[in-house]
Amino acid sequence: MTENRQSINISGKRDGRRLDSRVLEEQIQRAVEAGHRQLSIQALGQHGIGGRLWKTDGEPLHIEIEGNVGQRVGAMGYPGTTIEVLGPASDDVGWLNAGATITVHGHASNGVANGMAQGNVYIAGNIGARGMTMTKNNPRFEPPQLWVLGSAGDYFAEFMAGGVAVICGHAPQDPKNVLGYRPMVGMVGGRVMFRGPHQGFSHADAKMTPIDDDTWTWLTDGLETFLTAIDRMELLKALTVRNEWQLIAARSPQDKGGVPRRSMADFRKNVWDEKLGRGGIVGDLTNLDRSPIPLITHGDLRRFVPVWENRKFKAPCEATCPSGIPVQERWRLVREGRVDEAVDLALAFTPFPASVCGYLCPHPCMTACTKGSAFMTPVDVSQLGRASIDARLPAFPPLSGKRIAVVGGGPAGISTAWQLRRMGHEAVVFDDAPTLGGKIASVIPNSRIPAEVIKKELDRAAEALPHVHLQQRLNRSDTTQLIADHDFVIVAAGAQKPRTLPIPGKERLVTATAFLGDAKQDRIKPGNRVVIIGAGNVGCDVATEAARLGAGDITLLDVQEPASFGKEREDAEAVGAVFRWPVFTRQITDQGVELDTGELIPADTVVVSIGDSPDLAFLPDDVATERGFVVVNEDYQTTNPKVYAIGDVVRPGLLTDAIGAGRRAAETIAEILAGKRPGADRKMVIDIKRISLEYLDPRIIQYEDMDQCGSQCSSCGTCRDCSICVAICPEVAISRKTIDDVAFEYVVDPERCIGCGFCAGACPCGIWNIVENTPVG
Amino acid sequence: MQPNATIAPSTLSVKDLPWQILWHKDKCTLCGRCTAVCPVNAIELGVFRKRRIKVSLEPQGNPSSGFDIFHGIRQKTDPAYACVGCATCSLVCPNDAILPMRSDEADKLRFHINRGGQPRSRGGRRNVPGGILDQIKFIRISMLTDPALDAGRHEFEMRTLLGRILPPEQNLKFFNENGWIPPVREIYPLIIGGMSFGALSPNMWEGLQMGVAYLNEELGMPVRMCTGEGGCPPRLLRSPFLKYVILQIASGYFGWDEIIHAIPEMVEDPCAIEIKYGQGAKPGDGGLLMWHKVNKLIAAIRGVPPGISLPSPPTHQTQYSIEESVAKMIQSMYMAWGFRVPVYPKISASSTAMAVLNNLTRNPYAAGLAIDGEDGGTGAAYNVSMDHMGHPIATNIRDGYLNLVKVGMQNEIPIFAGGGVGKNGNLAANAATLIMLGASGVQTGKYIMQAAAGCLGSETDRCNICNIGRCPRGITSQDPRLYRRLDVEKVAERVVDLYLAFDMELKKILAPLGRSTALPIGMSDALGISDYYAAQRLSIKYVV
Repeated sequence: MTENRQSINISGKRDGRRLDSRVLEEQIQRAVEAGHRQLSIQALGQHGIGGRLWKTDGEPLHIEIEGNVGQRVGAMGYPGTTIEVLGPASDDVGWLNAGATITVHGHASNGVANGMAQGNVYIAGNIGARGMTMTKNNPRFEPPQLWVLGSAGDYFAEFMAGGVAVICGHAPQDPKNVLGYRPMVGMVGGRVMFRGPHQGFSHADAKMTPIDDDTWTWLTDGLETFLTAIDRMELLKALTVRNEWQLIAARSPQDKGGVPRRSMADFRKNVWDEKLGRGGIVGDLTNLDRSPIPLITHGDLRRFVPVWENRKFKAPCEATCPSGIPVQERWRLVREGRVDEAVDLALAFTPFPASVCGYLCPHPCMTACTKGSAFMTPVDVSQLGRASIDARLPAFPPLSGKRIAVVGGGPAGISTAWQLRRMGHEAVVFDDAPTLGGKIASVIPNSRIPAEVIKKELDRAAEALPHVHLQQRLNRSDTTQLIADHDFVIVAAGAQKPRTLPIPGKERLVTATAFLGDAKQDRIKPGNRVVIIGAGNVGCDVATEAARLGAGDITLLDVQEPASFGKEREDAEAVGAVFRWPVFTRQITDQGVELDTGELIPADTVVVSIGDSPDLAFLPDDVATERGFVVVNEDYQTTNPKVYAIGDVVRPGLLTDAIGAGRRAAETIAEILAGKRPGADRKMVIDIKRISLEYLDPRIIQYEDMDQCGSQCSSCGTCRDCSICVAICPEVAISRKTIDDVAFEYVVDPERCIGCGFCAGACPCGIWNIVENTPVG
Repeated sequence: MQPNATIAPSTLSVKDLPWQILWHKDKCTLCGRCTAVCPVNAIELGVFRKRRIKVSLEPQGNPSSGFDIFHGIRQKTDPAYACVGCATCSLVCPNDAILPMRSDEADKLRFHINRGGQPRSRGGRRNVPGGILDQIKFIRISMLTDPALDAGRHEFEMRTLLGRILPPEQNLKFFNENGWIPPVREIYPLIIGGMSFGALSPNMWEGLQMGVAYLNEELGMPVRMCTGEGGCPPRLLRSPFLKYVILQIASGYFGWDEIIHAIPEMVEDPCAIEIKYGQGAKPGDGGLLMWHKVNKLIAAIRGVPPGISLPSPPTHQTQYSIEESVAKMIQSMYMAWGFRVPVYPKISASSTAMAVLNNLTRNPYAAGLAIDGEDGGTGAAYNVSMDHMGHPIATNIRDGYLNLVKVGMQNEIPIFAGGGVGKNGNLAANAATLIMLGASGVQTGKYIMQAAAGCLGSETDRCNICNIGRCPRGITSQDPRLYRRLDVEKVAERVVDLYLAFDMELKKILAPLGRSTALPIGMSDALGISDYYAAQRLSIKYVV
């Protein structure tokens, strides 16, 4: 084999003709197989010379190439192979090189070292486009190296994934750019050292890195090797000026943040605001702070704010009570152990708290009670009402000098006079009865209410109210004089004229008012059979009284379904009264009542109870009437602005209606006297959806005592001071504040509050409201 | 409290609503964040009574009843407070205790959002998911037939022309005869469509403009944004950034006196003027900015006193025919900037769009035509207009382009497509589709809101409350308490991000086509669809 180790010449031409690349390759492979380790090849553009030569038994192999070297010289080169191209080289020198050392003593065109994974490529000139692209670094081997004496062409080091490229920048093709156009795009590994100017590279993929001492040592050592290989050692000194060299390394995946770009904050400050002015695009139009805020905000930045609306609204009971008694306030006082005050409070609204609330009123307040909306039992106000018999006469303010005449001393008149007196005005009651009271004193059966209750309340009222006992009924001129002599006149004369039926035998009829008045004095014996025409509540009272006075067979007739209800109806039914409807009366005979069907209902007494109508003859012409009643507005003012009318002269109603009308008229007059617009500060009723009944026991069907009533009142719209809001507030924004040691309020710290509305959601009484914050901007 | 009362026809249960709030009692910490942020007050703290019964089986065992109280989150059922599914509650919940879930069947609420006889209005776009654009694919992949291009490596000419390109002989004639040739802008093919200052919050609007400026100044991408109708802040009008702005004029002419006053002080011409005749989301309908949204800032920009309602009628008042409208308006707008700024109309896609386009071909001043398809978005419109009015963009663009081809003018008058571009998140694919169908570029608004500011609206009717000024993201609100949730800089950053990503995706589509030197406008041989009739209608390949 020894003889084969000598150099062998292989020509790429035979018989004057270029050898096919395949044939030359076969010759080279055979020569190496035959043991030749020095090959001298005269190339004629053959492809891929010098690669794939592994049959060397591990011995070094040297190939010299003269002539026109073709594409991909040294492609798939093996370790141990050294290739020297004595002139310039064509494309793809060292393509997929896996270990060969390839030296080109001239320029090399495009694609140098493309895909190279191991080995070294030395180029004594410049290289074309896409050099050192897609190179690899296999950890099993040393990384590949490309050394270029001159410059790199365009798209250098694209997708470079490993190895080192050194661009010496000596006599570059473009003196202004030794790295070519758009180098290092997609570079993921390896390093590029270069000397000379460049026109930018892909900063997204690679970055400029300082050359440390080890690298510099590596570079200078390598340069010696390189320059030796290309026979240009004379350049060593010129090329080893450290500060002329730069290093670009691939960014690690973690380091690749996309295209490095100016921060937006910097752009905003130095470009945007710089050109537009401070505050940016609308800085000249607004000085509103537009800086970012979090989703959960406090203070002025809250979208919603809670408002403690204690007593802003009426409770449904208060709103429904014709007398306007704030029942919930009374229960609050009971809860607070101030039963006396709870009792006394009623007198601010009615002079008859015991008679009416305790006995006579059908209690619209309880019907309207919020608890009823959930089919819970309304708190029982009659307990509180009965206790009110002990209510003490309040201290009245000094008189204002204004004088109001009240015509009629019944419930309406007493109520309005009472209210006027409470408000400091002098109200004089004119009545033709010797004592105050009207119907409440005369016609209500004692079975409905103990006589002493009414007496006590009337005495209490009489104590406060001046009363003029008229000896005769007022006539028109008296009234005109009354109007002239007073600041206001309130007509509360009631309905005095019983209505009767225009039928034969009507003279046999007894009016209900007369019957009840006589019955109360036990001055009448109605007999066993009593027929009552008109089955309303008054008719029921007649039935009950008739039974008390011995009647056993009581019939109530009506032309329609009777309107009677409540206690009166129950009592009448309890005494066995029979209700018949619809029936129409033809005449009254000495036998009884004859219906239009011809039927005779035998009767000892026939009572007509179809209502009373007012006697309005005493009113001057400027007080308009309609269908026998006085025309009023919602404040009970008549068409004469100095004259008000309340009670049954306006429309028939409950006692409490008359009492409430009296209060409303009095309030209106007081407001006018004070120079205020009437009704301006009247409250609205609360939306019951704001109340949380869930805190109350739904299984109570009867209240044991006032304490239980107090505790189970939903206290709509009036704070019960439970502090649930303080507990529920997630931000500890709500606290209870005492005012003057007695009163209290709950307050919100706006800087803690986030506007969640939990206070409103949790409040049992509907005090907290969550409202939109005041608009900004 | 639910009163035990009679029901009304519009009394609904939670089940009847489109969204049900799922609330976990055991996870809830009662922190109040959800109720504090809910844009429509759909939830509140509730008080609940839980009965407990103690029993014993012994004779006379004294069973008893008592109750506990607990607090929790309750969903309101009043139609006025129906949950819109935005899930801002979930966003702020520290314990993942709350989540709106879509009803498992069609809601009943839809039959009751007409209180007082007022039909439903909303923001967003057509509540119809999907669309033809996403069905079209790019089937021409050049590997060895054309130069193979690499989206990551090669450079692409990603610009389009906005303006009238006259044929050379006509160009020369124009130049010689009146010394004028139409202005043409080289711009990025993805335009931010008209969204007004007023429809959008100041922070959103500024964020978009800032992002656009950044793309131009820092990254060299010639992105343009249309103002929408509502004027343009005076500072922007007088800034160099105006060149990135397409000023819109519409039937309300709001803000135009401020623009006119600013003309002498302008340091740059605007990119173009868009004359809005129609909007894809609500074709044939106008707009109304309610008085309560016209705060000081909006008023100043629109040139009106604060606190008045601003109607934009469905039509321009003084224009009675297509010839007149287009010619008159285009002339006027050209004159304002000395014939240096391209002027083009924008119409809603319609079966009548071809008539407009044909008219424009005869008007050498017309700089292009923008067509807005049925999937376009809006800040406020009647639901019926949004869901049932309009024309798909694909056929309109295709017909328009083929018409131009027929008359040999496809390279002369650019058509811009809008309405649902990126509706399902496929912005670049949709844009490329429309370009290959014949659009010179696309306009998009909704995608920008979604990507740049986190808009939650959807085509399955989530959120979509842009019209009431309570946008949970602060995009369409004039309330600083809401719009300050948007960080101007972050919006701008997102604009940049989405444009860079779009750019890369568009390149990924264009590279395999072997196109790098010009946009493949009308290159319909690259398009295929598996729907035979759609393929026929659009003159693209039917592929299965």
